[in-house]
Amino acid sequence: MGILAFTAMAVCVICLHFGAQPIAYGEILRVFIDAISRKEIDGGTSDVVDVILLQVRLPRILLGFLVGCSLASVGVALQALLRNPLADPYVLGVSSGAALGAAVGVLLGAGTTFLAETTLPVCGFAGGLLALVIVYRMAASYEQLPIHSLLLTGVILNAIFSALIMFITSILEPNRSYGMMAWLMGTLTAPTYGGLVGLAVYLSIGLVLLFVQMRALNVLALGEEVARTLGVDTERAKRSIFILAALVTGAVVSVSGMIGFIGMVVPHAVRLVTGADHRLLLPASALVGGTFLMGSDTIARTMISPAEIPVGIITALAGGPFFVYLLLWRKDRLA
Amino acid sequence: MNHEPEDLLREVDLCSLEAGEQVRMKQRVQSSGSTQALRIFYLSRWERCLFVSALSLVAALLMLLSSADGCSGDGCSEMKRRQPGILTGMPFMAHVSSRAFVDDVGHRIYLAKPPARVVSLAPSITEMLFAIGLDEQIVGVTEFCDYPAEAKSKAKVGYSNPSAEALIALRPELVLAPRDFLRSDLQAKLDQLKIPLFVLDAQTVEDILLQIHTLGKMFEKVSAANEVTQRMRQRIAEIRRKVETPPPRRVLYVLNSQPLISVGPGSFIHQMIGLAGGLNIAAQAGVAYPKLSMEVVLKDDPEVLIFPSGVVETVPRSEQQQWRRWDTLSAVKQQRFREVSSNLLNRPGPRVIEALEELARAIHPEMFDFGEGAVHP
Repeated sequence: MGILAFTAMAVCVICLHFGAQPIAYGEILRVFIDAISRKEIDGGTSDVVDVILLQVRLPRILLGFLVGCSLASVGVALQALLRNPLADPYVLGVSSGAALGAAVGVLLGAGTTFLAETTLPVCGFAGGLLALVIVYRMAASYEQLPIHSLLLTGVILNAIFSALIMFITSILEPNRSYGMMAWLMGTLTAPTYGGLVGLAVYLSIGLVLLFVQMRALNVLALGEEVARTLGVDTERAKRSIFILAALVTGAVVSVSGMIGFIGMVVPHAVRLVTGADHRLLLPASALVGGTFLMGSDTIARTMISPAEIPVGIITALAGGPFFVYLLLWRKDRLA
Repeated sequence: MNHEPEDLLREVDLCSLEAGEQVRMKQRVQSSGSTQALRIFYLSRWERCLFVSALSLVAALLMLLSSADGCSGDGCSEMKRRQPGILTGMPFMAHVSSRAFVDDVGHRIYLAKPPARVVSLAPSITEMLFAIGLDEQIVGVTEFCDYPAEAKSKAKVGYSNPSAEALIALRPELVLAPRDFLRSDLQAKLDQLKIPLFVLDAQTVEDILLQIHTLGKMFEKVSAANEVTQRMRQRIAEIRRKVETPPPRRVLYVLNSQPLISVGPGSFIHQMIGLAGGLNIAAQAGVAYPKLSMEVVLKDDPEVLIFPSGVVETVPRSEQQQWRRWDTLSAVKQQRFREVSSNLLNRPGPRVIEALEELARAIHPEMFDFGEGAVHP
């Protein structure tokens, strides 16, 4: 864990270096020392390098870390709950459910921006919960849902939700819908520190509550019957994990759009190293997920500088092939 | 035309069919529990019969299709392409007459006389037609054609996806279309019905002047067209004179605020910013509508922020105010937040001059009548 935390820090510093205009590490150090001596991180300076580093790059990197953490943790929880290693908020349609919720929110005029709004995470939560309930009903009605049926459920949910999202974008004004498309592709923008802190508090409450369920997750992963005989209140545990997953996904999607595959790839990669004990797997996945998204976003920021590409493209390009690999060559692990 | 594609297609088809058969066999063999790999390729006599007959059927079908294509395609389509004009049967006319016109995609049409019924598929084209006095000839417009007021009373045919039926029902002698959104199936339909289609695609203000001139010749309204273009040139020269003296200002055009999307080279607005005495800070971006990095904006420090305003495309005031957060920007320090009517700016028609003036006023308010520029939003 210590190593992972250290890696996350190191990657964060490396990401601070890269950007539309690389900033030397010495310069980064100077900016931070300045900011500490000024006792103010937000403003109070007219130096452009300061502003770029402290008000654009740093908040965005932190946002990336938070979003990555949350997506990976939700992925771990869903995989344990559905006893299915391909579960992921994106694949299961939870992300698109949340996106639909947020899009409806925008349509109804809930907020003019996608950031730092309280209504949009709530709308996202509602949409995500709806999707999760449908997936779970499917899974529950078959005891343990065969992998292909589960994926198909996700595909169908994704299709329905994206049709509705497309409907909404087509009736929005062209400018709004253009912005919404860019957001849907998965985009991290530089938040204000106020917005960032608000999101961090919200997400950490969700994540801490999820971490409390780690033992329950360990037992649930063995199957509900086993869990029940071991004295776990399975219904309650499941319900709370579902609600937490929808809460966290809703908030994440409402700030960053649909960033896919982190919730699936990261827990897998981590499980190869740590094993399936959720007490270790969950925090480790959170750290790795955050680090992975920080790195992906840095690529997205710099690849065709001065323009940017949506980070969702990078994570999907990294995660998609891994998904295919799992489906084709590691069938044994999926059974 | 050679028949290679068809041959290729046939081969691919056979392969896929074979593969399909094999897969089915494989599945059957596996499900019966057999482990002999060779049995995968085994076919019973009955199945072999079926397979061969299916193959021959497909081959026959393909041959039939390709031969049908051979007679209806090639020569015929070549002929069709040569004579889309009104005077069918005189294809050579398109090459010799002064009444032949080449559009912006290199397509040549021949019009024996000025068309009496014309449909416009873009608001900018509608404005051009009205500007040179073709009120009566216009029989159809798009639902976005709202200027001049008379345009609203014309029949509507849709915009990004115009209805072919509504269009044909208007019996147009000429269809004028923008290059964007022009669908190839509509193009083919018009071609088939021998309704001439003329594509207008303006990249620069100069293109617009040229198009008005061409339309003037097409409808024998040369003097009206000349008058319009002359007036436009005059106003361009006036505006240029004003904005040429001061040093150009760095400009950021905020097409969308969250996430930040701007205009880059290849977009009409980028070119307009240059004409209005501005330096577009997104000029380095390789695409027409880049999602611009905020870091670049801070580094390049725009002196003016321009937001589109209007009925359809607006960055709301609340989002504009969020830009105050970036207080190192000269535009924020000097309070240079401007709105420019997006309707004017996005329409490469005769009123583009008004857009240019609005833009020039937004960038260099002090060069226009004092006082008025200062209170500009």
